[in-house]
Amino acid sequence: MKKILNIAVWSVLVLGLASCDKWLDVNTDPDSPTNEGALVENRLPWLQHYYSYAMGPADMRTSCISGALYSTNPNNNHLSTTWNCQPGSTTTAEQIWFVNAACNIPDLYNKAEKEGAYYYMGAAEVIHAMGFMMLLDTQGEMPYTEALAGIASPKYDDGKTIFNGCIDRLDHAIELFQKQQEPGATPFSYGDMWCGGDPAKWIKLAYGLKARYLLRLSKKADLFKPDTILECIAKGPQSNDENIFMVCYNSANDVTDYWMRDPVMTNPDWDYVAYGSTQRISKFYRDLLVNMRGAGVVDPRMPKIVPAAMGGIKVKDGKLDSYEWVRSQGVDSYGPATRLLAGGSTSIQTPVFASDEVKIKYPIKDAAARADFIAGLGGKQYDLKADTVEVTYPKWSLYCSSNNYIYAGDTIYVNIRSNSQKSMDGSGQPALDVNWYTGSAQYNAGVVGSTGSFQVHPNSDYDILTYHEMCFIKAEVLFRKGDDAGALAAYKAGIKAHMDRMQKELAAWETAGYSKTNPDMTPMSEADITAYLSSAAVAQSASDLTMRDIMLQKYVAMGFNIENWNDMRRFNFSAGNIDNYGVVYPGYDRGPLFAGQAKLVGADKNDPQYWVRRWRLPATTELNYNATNAKAANKHATSDDIWSIPVWWDCATDAEYYGYIR
Amino acid sequence: MLKKLQSVLLALAMFLGVAAVAFGQTANGVVVDAQGQPVPGASIIVKGTTTGTMTLTDGTFTLAARPGSLLEVSCIGYATKDVPAGVNLRIVLAEDDLFLDESVVTALGISRERKSLGYSVSEVKSEELMKNKQANVVNSLAGKVPGVNVTQSSGAAGAGASIIIRGANSTYEGRDNSPLFVVDGIIYDNSTSVLGNSATDGMTRSNTTYSNRVMDINPEDIETISVLKGAAAAALYGSKAADGAIIITTKKGAEGAVMVDFSSKTSVSWANKLPVAQTVFGRGVYTDNGVLDEQTYSQWGEKIAAGTKVYDNIGTFFRKGIVLDNNVSVSGGTKNSSFYLSLSNFDQKGIVPNTGYDKTTVRFNGEQKYGRLTVGANVAYSIARTDKTLTSGGLYDGGGTGSMNALYTWPVTEDITHYLNEDGSKYRLFDGIWELADDKENPYWIINKDQLYDQTHRFTGALNARFEIADWWDISARLGYDNFTTDSYTYIEPGSVVKDLYQNGRLNKSDYNYRYLSTNVMSNMHKTFGDWNMHLLVGTTTEDTYRHNQTHWGYDFITAGTASFTNIATANQFFKDATIRKRLVGVYGEFGASWKNTLFLTVTGRNDWSSTLPVNNRSYFYPSVSGSFVFTELIPKNDVLTFGKVRASMARVGKDAEAYVTTTTLLAPYKYGDYTLVGNYYEAGNPYLVPEIQTAWEVGAELHLFNGRVNLDWTYYHSRTDNQIARPRLSQASGYSMTTINSGSVINKGQEFALTFIPIQNRDLDWSITLNASYNRGTLGEFLEGVTKFYPTDAQFGTIQAASIPNGGVFLGMVGTRYEYEKDADGNEIMGGRYAIDPNTGLYKVSTETDALVGNREPKLIGGLANTFRYKNFTLSFLLDFRIGGAVYNGTEYLMVTAGTSPITTLNDRQSVTITGVASADGNYNGTDIKAGEPVTITYNAGESYTVKGVTYDGKAMIQKYWSNYQSNSSNFITDVNWLKLRSLSLTYDFTSLIRKQHVIKGLSASVIGTNLFTLTNYKGMDPEVSTAGGTGGSGAAGIDYASVPAVASVSFGVNLKF
Repeated sequence: MKKILNIAVWSVLVLGLASCDKWLDVNTDPDSPTNEGALVENRLPWLQHYYSYAMGPADMRTSCISGALYSTNPNNNHLSTTWNCQPGSTTTAEQIWFVNAACNIPDLYNKAEKEGAYYYMGAAEVIHAMGFMMLLDTQGEMPYTEALAGIASPKYDDGKTIFNGCIDRLDHAIELFQKQQEPGATPFSYGDMWCGGDPAKWIKLAYGLKARYLLRLSKKADLFKPDTILECIAKGPQSNDENIFMVCYNSANDVTDYWMRDPVMTNPDWDYVAYGSTQRISKFYRDLLVNMRGAGVVDPRMPKIVPAAMGGIKVKDGKLDSYEWVRSQGVDSYGPATRLLAGGSTSIQTPVFASDEVKIKYPIKDAAARADFIAGLGGKQYDLKADTVEVTYPKWSLYCSSNNYIYAGDTIYVNIRSNSQKSMDGSGQPALDVNWYTGSAQYNAGVVGSTGSFQVHPNSDYDILTYHEMCFIKAEVLFRKGDDAGALAAYKAGIKAHMDRMQKELAAWETAGYSKTNPDMTPMSEADITAYLSSAAVAQSASDLTMRDIMLQKYVAMGFNIENWNDMRRFNFSAGNIDNYGVVYPGYDRGPLFAGQAKLVGADKNDPQYWVRRWRLPATTELNYNATNAKAANKHATSDDIWSIPVWWDCATDAEYYGYIR
Repeated sequence: MLKKLQSVLLALAMFLGVAAVAFGQTANGVVVDAQGQPVPGASIIVKGTTTGTMTLTDGTFTLAARPGSLLEVSCIGYATKDVPAGVNLRIVLAEDDLFLDESVVTALGISRERKSLGYSVSEVKSEELMKNKQANVVNSLAGKVPGVNVTQSSGAAGAGASIIIRGANSTYEGRDNSPLFVVDGIIYDNSTSVLGNSATDGMTRSNTTYSNRVMDINPEDIETISVLKGAAAAALYGSKAADGAIIITTKKGAEGAVMVDFSSKTSVSWANKLPVAQTVFGRGVYTDNGVLDEQTYSQWGEKIAAGTKVYDNIGTFFRKGIVLDNNVSVSGGTKNSSFYLSLSNFDQKGIVPNTGYDKTTVRFNGEQKYGRLTVGANVAYSIARTDKTLTSGGLYDGGGTGSMNALYTWPVTEDITHYLNEDGSKYRLFDGIWELADDKENPYWIINKDQLYDQTHRFTGALNARFEIADWWDISARLGYDNFTTDSYTYIEPGSVVKDLYQNGRLNKSDYNYRYLSTNVMSNMHKTFGDWNMHLLVGTTTEDTYRHNQTHWGYDFITAGTASFTNIATANQFFKDATIRKRLVGVYGEFGASWKNTLFLTVTGRNDWSSTLPVNNRSYFYPSVSGSFVFTELIPKNDVLTFGKVRASMARVGKDAEAYVTTTTLLAPYKYGDYTLVGNYYEAGNPYLVPEIQTAWEVGAELHLFNGRVNLDWTYYHSRTDNQIARPRLSQASGYSMTTINSGSVINKGQEFALTFIPIQNRDLDWSITLNASYNRGTLGEFLEGVTKFYPTDAQFGTIQAASIPNGGVFLGMVGTRYEYEKDADGNEIMGGRYAIDPNTGLYKVSTETDALVGNREPKLIGGLANTFRYKNFTLSFLLDFRIGGAVYNGTEYLMVTAGTSPITTLNDRQSVTITGVASADGNYNGTDIKAGEPVTITYNAGESYTVKGVTYDGKAMIQKYWSNYQSNSSNFITDVNWLKLRSLSLTYDFTSLIRKQHVIKGLSASVIGTNLFTLTNYKGMDPEVSTAGGTGGSGAAGIDYASVPAVASVSFGVNLKF
């Protein structure tokens, strides 16, 4: 009996253990595929999308710093107006780059390498360089060599290492694109959203990027090589046809992204600049479009870039009868900034259309202010009782829903907002109408709240690298070399190329039908373009041309692109202390609401630390989870003045750079 | 000493009128102990009557007794003895320690003598639990067991509680720190799951009520609860035992006649403390230039005019909660069999209207012997339904507000009950002015229109067989099954304050299925060789866990009034499912030896193979050794120290990972034009993971004094859990936001102390006191390099967040924002010095350190004092529970300050505020240029205006800004809390002796029980026992009070009938 039992027990145990291994193999999630399964043709477009999507917040926030945008969002306002920069502004770009985009690079590269799909490897290298260059531009130091390597707390690299690493990757990519893919490798066209699988175009992209990056070294006497840049430009895009861009869609079939819940196929700058109601055009940017070189000439691009709302509306039988387009004014942060000074830095209101007659009582204690207010009512009906002015807003007039008289005039600012299909789910607004309406009653009546801005409609093409940028780089480099005539030609070619690039897309929009509801989506008048190009707004002779002319036209063309801030840093903003180029960005300065003393510690404009020179590391990721390494890389990593520490390429010498960070 | 004590007790007994006077024939004599010494205070009772007396100090007694009757002689510390009545009796009582031979249930359900154990085990018996019976057995343990910390998450019906023994061992939120629950040998799931899917129904831990699943047990079924606190105690349970184990044994039938036990209880409960809203200032906010804007719910406006109706919205909202609790059981048995069958219903209406908790349970326990074979079965079935509502917050990614959040901040000038217009449509204060999505939802809309519930059907069953091969060897086998399905339902009414997408209604249904199958085969041998006693146990176990969650959701109802998926367009309907599967095989053994009942030594070993770990690391072994030494065996017997033991143990326990964390997965693909996009998920898999390993040791002592009248138990423990399997946020430069990694260690140490004191125990009078106290100090040891704060969860309330501080910092920390302090000559802040004032805002400067450690949520000391006093048929018990220290964040107050409804915001009648500190930088402070570091005092008056940084502000705006500045200093809302709570008070009268003349009713008693009737605390908010987000993962959410449903106090009346 005992024996039998003994045997039974032990056989159960032994058999149990033998089959145990197999029984335990249940550790694969039946509901989610693992990363080993993804194809290179699916990963590359993912990477292209998310690289661009990481650039969205980088573009938007650096455009606040560069002065193109004014924002009522507190974080962004601190970049655009008070310069009391906040850590919360810096997370998104880094996060999307690493977590959504870059984590796919090793898997893409390795899988492509196994297949002999060299072009996919090359594309991975190019995008790797682009993403890390954006981090270098914004953060200065970042994990680079230990990044994306399965290391939980990767060490940081200095700016120089990252910069050289990016250039090496571009060189390596150029080699790879010159190869033939192995037979059986996934055709490049299957997965390349940017260049349709054309390796030659990728080579142009890589050279164009090299030109862009090598230009960053302009402060460095030893490393700045104008001729190398010109050689790269010669191998980069030679016309608008060779522009590299990502097509973006405003589609009802789009879905929202798992991460930030933005639509997937919309323009990434739209997602950040023009999805919400917080951004306005700055006075600084608008002035460049209406008064370049003090010529008082309105740039034909102005009504495409500066948004408009409807005004003077009359509605008949619920339908729009008559109206006029009221073009937005720019918000002044750097000049007297009277409006912001009166109401506070983020106080600009979003006006609405009265869906019924509205009466608002404004208590105004100060008699002079009251008189000014009444004088500014422009014929609106009002009633004065003691110190309260009651204003009547007729139906469909634009007004600010507040009884604070300081805000009442904010109807002159139109927010840069466009609607997309996904943002308007269920509203019935068709895909070909990307206007923003202040509400459903206004939509039903056809009363437009904003026409949006050219670069940031949901369906705007997203530029990766353009011929016009090449022209402006060439103009700058030639100008630096003293070839003023060559510079003038490149400068004019740049302006023309940008207008042509706009014109082409505007025409396509008109053909598609967007212009039926949005007048700003129709082509510009060719006559206006010609007139502008020959006007005093554009330098007409080599002797007349200044660095300021080149850079301001580049600024207009680049718009909400990170390159404007990069350029401004190279010229020390409006310090005017770079070579003998004078003040390159006049009118850009600390404004009366400046509150960034603790962060921007420079006392005068010639002190590099007077300006916003980089971002603090993202608090929620790097500073909380990798603080030891971050502090080892830069002694200022956690101190307030980090915002004014120049990045490597922004310093004339390594000694200067290491003097800051070590 | 002993005699003195007895005299005092005797005097007390006399005073209380215990000594009964009776007439008739006299019995007399003397009671002595084995040594011939008189025993004073012994109770002598004529058996079968209420006649009795007590011995005098010389041990003598006299009482009336008929000849032939039997005297029952008893005294604490002696065995009770029956002697025939007579005169000049000399009754010798044998000494007996009440607790000496007590055995307790240990791991795997094995009963062992308490004195043999090398670790601390606490046992709670049925009657202790019933003194403050709760729907949730976990709650009934509060204050009763040293080292056990119970936190009720809110006063909502069906709300769960968390239980942590000797501090939490795992850092990460997804790691359960709750002890393993074992019911009659079946491992019993006690998870507190967020049942839906926050992405699909917006549900998160903090926005509604969730139960912990031990609530499915009917507390009346419980015979004993054994709390195995340390790793050594629980080591045989393997991976799941690192957090201790709670072994529940349910009732069995006894040999004899069939017994029916019926009990019924009705209770009424009410919110024990509510926040109060100020009624001085009305709605409105001042803009910077002093214009009053009344388009707001906030109460920063003008003074409420006399005669304006003011509503007690908070007070009106809550109702009295009612519980009807009925229980019936039938039990019985023969020499070879026994059975127990019970049925119960617990029907609770919560204090929030339209909420409730309704539970019905059935249990059958049976056992049958066939010669050497015993087979048994335990099965239980329960249905529990919780009708709940949104509480602290709105829906995740859905907008809106929770009912409590809105209630506590509702303006007092508005009638909160007015949520519908006369025509039945929704009433909105700012209808036509505010977008629906931006509005604040009326709580009455939420509780009346939205519908949220969950319902759990649970079946647990065990089949046991035990075969006695010899009198020294048996083999037993067990098959355990635990299965439940929770259906959860969330309906958001069209027209609710939610984001645009969901404004035409939203529906979510989810089915959560849990299935757990375990087998266990064990051989048990024990033999005595002379002075040596030995036992050997070997066994093997398998566990198979399967969880499946399927959710269906949709939005935009086609026609009004039908909340059904058929009323939602196919394009707006979605489903998602998730499967989790884990398996584990374990082999274990235990060897124990003892010598002369004096020295005891036990070693155990277990090896587990877990499916969740990488194949190469999936096998792990852990040993334990424990011993005890009963030193009183070696010293002469005496009356003072009757029993003394020291014990020590040491153990390692492994803890495996969560399922699937070894691989990186892909996200769902996107279409982009003609391309299909596929990419990695933001969490990286880790193929190198090793198990978490806990090394723990404890030492302790147990002393029985005066024959068990006074018992002391003390333990010191230390545990260190290394290789923490955490899923921390990482430097994203790794390419991922998080990955599961072995990240560092958690250290817990503490002491536990328990005292039982029985001043009196005799037939008419019983008085016992138990006191327990314990503390735990949890710290985070070495952790990931570069991580300065570890956040177990992303959840944030107000300005604070739960966090642990690596390298020896606190485990239950709380980080937040704070004001900056003045700086010394080197530019370093002088912590605790004067506050710095910012020239840019004219207010206190908010430090850039947004993650300053602002509080430690761990109490310095917790404990309970229980008293039971029985006089004849009356029993009075109460349990006081106390806590000293431990920070609590009053997030409700924070919310109310934001809204201007908090009474503190009426400071100085809102006519002025004064800030005092030092200049943070050179600058202009209210018109005066002041150098950095110089003192600054600014008073803002309501009638004046001020220029700050070039912008002119009205004084009222500055006063308002002062309060929003006030909010950024987390410490303004943090209290180190002490409390003394009357956790329960019960009075029972036993009628049995009054009705003993009949043979039908065998027992009848009635009780009145009060719970939480009284709390003495320095905490200014609601009940200080808070955990807004519930759960026991990581460092949990204890100590965060954020718009919770208030805790309740209750009174109940119950009867218990046995026949």
